[in-house]
Amino acid sequence: MLQKKICMLGAFGVGKTSLVRRFVDTIFSDSYLTTVGVKLDKKTLTVGGETVNLILWDIAGEDNASAVRTTYLRGSAGYLLVADGTRASTLDVARSIATRAEAEIGQVPFLLLVNKCDLRSEWAIPESRLDELTALGWTVRPTSAKTGESVEAVFQEIADRVVR
Amino acid sequence: MEVLPQTVAESLRSLIYQQRALAYVLVDHSLVLVRAGGFLEHYGLTKLELFEPASSQIDFLEGLLPLAETPFLIRSMEMPSGRVADVHFFGDCDGVWILLLDVTTEHDEARLVQQKAYDMTLLSEREARLIEQLEAANRALAESREELVRTHRRLDQELEDAAYYVRSILPAPFSEPFSVDWRFVPSSELGGDSFGYHWIDADHFALFLLDVCGHGVGPAMVSIVVANMLRSEALADTDFRAPDEVLTALNHVYRMEDHNDRYFSIWYGVYRPSVRRLRYAAAGHHPAILVTGEPAQQRGRIETLAARGPALGIAPAASYACHEYLLPAPSRLFLFSDGTFEVGKSDGAMLEFEAFLDVLAAPVAAGESELDRLLEFIRDVHGPGPLEDDLSIIKLAL
Repeated sequence: MLQKKICMLGAFGVGKTSLVRRFVDTIFSDSYLTTVGVKLDKKTLTVGGETVNLILWDIAGEDNASAVRTTYLRGSAGYLLVADGTRASTLDVARSIATRAEAEIGQVPFLLLVNKCDLRSEWAIPESRLDELTALGWTVRPTSAKTGESVEAVFQEIADRVVR
Repeated sequence: MEVLPQTVAESLRSLIYQQRALAYVLVDHSLVLVRAGGFLEHYGLTKLELFEPASSQIDFLEGLLPLAETPFLIRSMEMPSGRVADVHFFGDCDGVWILLLDVTTEHDEARLVQQKAYDMTLLSEREARLIEQLEAANRALAESREELVRTHRRLDQELEDAAYYVRSILPAPFSEPFSVDWRFVPSSELGGDSFGYHWIDADHFALFLLDVCGHGVGPAMVSIVVANMLRSEALADTDFRAPDEVLTALNHVYRMEDHNDRYFSIWYGVYRPSVRRLRYAAAGHHPAILVTGEPAQQRGRIETLAARGPALGIAPAASYACHEYLLPAPSRLFLFSDGTFEVGKSDGAMLEFEAFLDVLAAPVAAGESELDRLLEFIRDVHGPGPLEDDLSIIKLAL
């Protein structure tokens, strides 16, 4: 069976683990539990009629004291960059990680997920900044781990891209 | 590296093996699992089959092999069993060895510390965002307030201009062959008072006072327009010497629905000096007051010159009756708006009408202006601050 490693990357507290929980277990919890190290999950999808195992690496978020260990990205077929729409600084972190990820593993498919779109009224990231990234060729998707909005779709989309 | 004494090396091996729940696998250069041992079940790595591809049996190996560097370490990886392991990779001639050492306790401790730190950081970030939003809201509020102040100043200026205009078109007082004087104090908002007097011919002197409902520039404009119609006698087929005819004609042409639902009260009179006869009519207006007797010597006698009829603009078919009164000499006729006597006192009560009449009827000392005396009385009663309504009063003295 086809297996693909996909990493979840981003600043701390943006909802990487919540997105995986929503996707894998279809559950969401409002209480925030930080990730230390790496958490592994697996989900089977169908891409073009073929069954694919996604091996999801939920990597601890980046903060001021510790950067994401990009060596963990080795062997990734693609990754999901996650930012928190209510915290503008998390988009800067995502951009920085993308640069380092490309340096580590080269150009592989990735999506930028702007999470917490259920709190759109509190968003601090201007639409213009996302438009700039789209113009650079990035694929930007708003998501909500809380409501489940677009969660299935973005995992399916990254699976499609890495298998293609 | 220093060669450890046999006993120390054995003790260390035993310590790591037992306390860290050592598990290991060996993956050869064909990425096939060739050896497995230790506490594999502790990490949920069960049913491993030797000589089968490694990554299809151990998920975290997907994509990692062959190693890009050796040794290689993945810290704190949560395993299928829920235990957390440091995963060590190193290569030799047989392939890649992968060792798992349990660090669940350290992981849980680190997570507690990190959780606290992140909670604090998120809280302070949220606080900073809220402060920023609060400051932005305050700035917007301050800008709105400034705009409001500017608008208020502009409106005040416009009201002042309107009041100035209302005052500028009022006729001048005179003293022969009888005297006419007036006082006009517009309220802070400007009301709908206006008045006037003029000679229709050599023996007919018209005087009127009207009060349009409401306050502000709108009622003031209506009152000016009506006053100008009366002054210029601009009502077709109307004898302006006949007060009933004037009010009926005015009521016919003025419809409140054409003027933003504004109606008005009016007292209109025509005085003939040759016979001292006053003819008058009123529409929704309180009576004029006639005070007879020598003003300097005694309290005057009060007559009320009332006339009935609905306010103008309400009932197009209404008609108005004319009344007559022979004015004795000496006497003073007072024509005024309701803002002259409906005055709130400083204690919250309203001025009694009787008290107002007492001031009108009081003896007048030589050189004293009874209109100024009345104004002073009203200001004393009202207390500081602008009046709530226009104050307008005309005095015709014989």
